Amino acid sequence: MGAVIEINAISKTYKGSLEKSLNKVSFSINQGDKIGIFGPNGAGKTTLISIICGIINASSGEVKYRSNGDTVDLKSMLYKIGYVPQDFSFYEELSPFQNLMYFGSLYNIPKKELKVKTENLLSVLGLSHVTHKKVVKFSGGMKRRVNLAIGIINDPELLFLDEPTVGVDVQSKNAIISYLEELNKKGTTIIYTSHHMNEAQEFCNRIVLIDKGNLIESNTLDVLLEKHNEQNLESLFLKLTGIEYRD
Amino acid sequence: MTKLLASIKKEFLLLIYDKVGLLLMYLMPIFLVFVITIVQDSTFKLVNENNLEILVINNDEGALGDSLLSILQNSGSFKITEEKALSKEEIQYVLLNDNQLLAFEIPVGFTLEMNNKAKSISRGMLLEFGVVEADSTENLQDAISPLNMYYDPVLQENFRHSIVSSIYSFLGALENRLMIENLYSEMGYDEVPADLENQFKNNRIEIQQIAANSSSNEVIPNSTQHNVPAWSIFAMFFMVISLGGNIVKERLSGSFVRLQTIPSSFVLVLLSKVFIYLIVALSQLAIIFLLGKYLFPTLGLPSLEMPSNLLGLLLISVFSAFAAISFAMLVGTYAKTVEQASGFGAITIIIFAAIGGIWVPSFVMPAYLQTIGKISPLHWCLEGYYSLFLKGGDWGLLVPSFLFLGVFILVCQVLIFLKLRAQNYI
Repeated sequence: MGAVIEINAISKTYKGSLEKSLNKVSFSINQGDKIGIFGPNGAGKTTLISIICGIINASSGEVKYRSNGDTVDLKSMLYKIGYVPQDFSFYEELSPFQNLMYFGSLYNIPKKELKVKTENLLSVLGLSHVTHKKVVKFSGGMKRRVNLAIGIINDPELLFLDEPTVGVDVQSKNAIISYLEELNKKGTTIIYTSHHMNEAQEFCNRIVLIDKGNLIESNTLDVLLEKHNEQNLESLFLKLTGIEYRD
Repeated sequence: MTKLLASIKKEFLLLIYDKVGLLLMYLMPIFLVFVITIVQDSTFKLVNENNLEILVINNDEGALGDSLLSILQNSGSFKITEEKALSKEEIQYVLLNDNQLLAFEIPVGFTLEMNNKAKSISRGMLLEFGVVEADSTENLQDAISPLNMYYDPVLQENFRHSIVSSIYSFLGALENRLMIENLYSEMGYDEVPADLENQFKNNRIEIQQIAANSSSNEVIPNSTQHNVPAWSIFAMFFMVISLGGNIVKERLSGSFVRLQTIPSSFVLVLLSKVFIYLIVALSQLAIIFLLGKYLFPTLGLPSLEMPSNLLGLLLISVFSAFAAISFAMLVGTYAKTVEQASGFGAITIIIFAAIGGIWVPSFVMPAYLQTIGKISPLHWCLEGYYSLFLKGGDWGLLVPSFLFLGVFILVCQVLIFLKLRAQNYI
């Protein structure tokens, strides 16, 4: 599988900060990957995803997007990208149906098709019973699923998820991960961040570890466990990033 | 186009689901315009329509005390309650404890002193003309004891001054009549000829009040013509709470961030907001103007006379609405929290309204405040509406409002653009 995104020596220093949030980070994302980006709090995970998705600009370095072997710009790539931010980035005053219809229409999806997609997604994610209820009254788990539904309304080829299962119950977490597995089987490349190591170990085929803005490791989990002589992702993570608090 | 329509629909839904915001934007302004107009109209009626109650204590034994009382009663400005022989303490007690704002005390010997003064002046005049000779045995006092006006301390100074002025004018008329009577008497006539007497009574020069107006359609300024446009503007700018808060909420929730990852122009989002809030602002104005025209008269208030320059009215309304929307968007873009947007926005609008002449006319303010007031967009909206509703709506009178509001909108939009650009939204 060829690379769909190449990240070349990305660095980021925020205005007013002396420290680099990212320091010459390079790796590539291949089609069909399920990449987990891990690191302690403040390591630079969200900054990295934000740069790849075009939310913020890198101070230096470049991100190359490829589609069918050709290099394309971010603007045309946006139709193929899905983004699920850590925050509930939607309109809580509206219903899941209204949210999905709004965000979906921004991808120019025809209204009829969008309606069918919306109903299907809400059904798959267990939200069909609250299709027309205001999101503001939903539980945390339900809101996470709405957040995810909006991120995949455009059937993305590349899906970025920033801690998609944080603060949800086991049932919601299970539903989300199962659905992501299903999407990946259909060909969606998934890049996600999480602090749930067990979940990540089961879900990801590649691991990217960053700490203090530096890329520490980037490889398959098996290779990394063997290289560092560790049994699981959590012990590997602690070995490479240390046990002291970071925030 | 689909994206813009979807954004407009989203904005519309957010607006109608925000019940508090809707109440603030529609019901509160109507309530405000009603209250202010009723208050100002009743103040006008209090002074001009025989509504001000005055307690008159007539201690005079002669006829002139009664004459003055009769003049006050017939003036049409006061409702007189007459009392005899109340002490100073009793008068003050009445003012402090009863529903009286003013008491007027005609002193003992008022007739005698007024007559003496008139006689003294008329005698002096005739001496000057050499009509009579000096009489060394007659020594007339021309000093008059003051008339006391007691007032409730809540009565404002300008209000007291206007009452004192009108009483002075009544006293002046009385003095003149006495003087003429004395002149005739000194010259040996028994009474003033009836024709002359009638001339004195009826020949007061009338002051005709003409409002400067650029059109033939003369509108008489009244509390409705002043207040409906002024408070409608104030209410319209208060959309800063709803729209400003809406923008901050969207920013903080991360909706704006998500929009960055979607192939859609952020300008569409802003355009949809502008479109919805333009409709809100124009509908606010339309509702308030229609209420002013059709409902006010049923409540005993003057009807709102619409200007003849309806195109000018539409354009000034659109410029005012854009100014209000631009300011609200500016506050929403720069504020860090919803509370900050609401607090700062509301206080700024109140200050803009105060210095812009919404609460009290600009011409009564000190010169420096009048100059500062010109930075207020509300001032220029108000100038535009006053040109239309009070001055005939000539296009030339509207140009300064269009110019300033145009510059204000442009500055706001540039600042919004710079901030959004810095945050990578645009």
